[in-house]
Amino acid sequence: MNCEQAQAYFVDLWREALDAPARAELERHLAECEACRSECDEGRRTWEALGELRAEEPSARLRTRFYGELHEAERQRRRRERMRGWIGNPWVSAAAAVVLVAVGIGVGRMTATRDDSKVANLQHEVADMRQLMALSLLEQQSASERLRGVSYASTVQEPDSDVRDALLRTLDSDPNVNVRMAAVDALHRFAGSPEVRQGLARALAREESPLVQIAILDELVELRERSAISSVDHLLSEPKLNPEVRQRAEWAVRRLQ
Amino acid sequence: MNCVNDPSDNRVMDRVREGELGALAELFERHHRPLFRYFVHLGGGRETSEDLVQEVFVRILKYRATFLSGADFAPWMYQIARNTHTDAMRKRRFEVIPGGANPVIEDAPSGESPAEERIGKRQETALLRRAMDALPEDKREILVLSRFQNLKYEQIAALLGCEVNTVKVRVFRAVRALGQEYERLAQRRAYGA
Repeated sequence: MNCEQAQAYFVDLWREALDAPARAELERHLAECEACRSECDEGRRTWEALGELRAEEPSARLRTRFYGELHEAERQRRRRERMRGWIGNPWVSAAAAVVLVAVGIGVGRMTATRDDSKVANLQHEVADMRQLMALSLLEQQSASERLRGVSYASTVQEPDSDVRDALLRTLDSDPNVNVRMAAVDALHRFAGSPEVRQGLARALAREESPLVQIAILDELVELRERSAISSVDHLLSEPKLNPEVRQRAEWAVRRLQ
Repeated sequence: MNCVNDPSDNRVMDRVREGELGALAELFERHHRPLFRYFVHLGGGRETSEDLVQEVFVRILKYRATFLSGADFAPWMYQIARNTHTDAMRKRRFEVIPGGANPVIEDAPSGESPAEERIGKRQETALLRRAMDALPEDKREILVLSRFQNLKYEQIAALLGCEVNTVKVRVFRAVRALGQEYERLAQRRAYGA
């Protein structure tokens, strides 16, 4: 046993927790090593002196506070369990659902009778804002922003002619194919407008993208725009027309005749 | 001597974890005094130490779900106590009273000793208390855990995250440091410093 190993046994010796072989081994080392013997004796005195330190008992206040806290925790737990019990009961759940529906209907009726004009005004304001937003986005440099603008225009409840014209301009001149295709779809909402029907027919004559051409052909068929047959014939006269577009144009002519 | 290795502690804590909160009263009755002494021996005053004991039991309730079935309750509780102490130190709610002025420390009953001997003994105990307070935090803590809390070395090792032999050597070094500090204070007193 060296000095370092002996040190690990000192505390066990002081606590009288050493088994006989280890104790014998330690005592042999202590008999040979004066430094360790001295350290062990001094340490034992300090260890025993520590045993003389006593602390007072805590006051009764601590017990009172603890039991108060425990009582409160149990009360809260019981309340949570009661709540869980109520929620788990199907009859209570059904009754709560009925009450909620009844309250919802009541509130809805009160709102409808008392604030009709306010709600209508609010809806108009929201529609105006959407419209402004759509128009603004359609003017943006970024194609994704213009796509968002087309999307906004599709959600305006009663779009006015400004939105319609903006969408037609987009179809005529937007450099991005996806934006022009989205504009074709958005214009479907203005099916009753002659300007839109004529605008689609004009765009078909100028459009160079096969995808957009097919989208316009589909829309014209959908709108049953017979006056567009001349524009479709003009398209079919193009010798370099994309075969798929040609096939779709021939189909459109047949449908519109 | 308080028994902190009682396996029944673990069973009681299992019941608390399962929702039988009232069972915590059993653990409180067994451990609130040792915990109070733990904080006092770490250097806290009476009121602060009682606050921290209360906080330990509140945390036991709050974090009861983290007590694993089959785990040893005592190291788990002392880990909470250590964290509570660390938090209090950080918030300056717990400050060691310098110079051993802790009013809750008393010397052990000394039987039929003459008055002079009793006074001498009391002075020595007060000096030892001051030496304890002057020790670095880690040395003071390992002395408290091993000498006053009756924890097994295996439990202290689990609590401090080290080997059992390391705990034993650290306890020895803390005892040696305490003895040296005591000697230093005794010499200062002898020379009237």
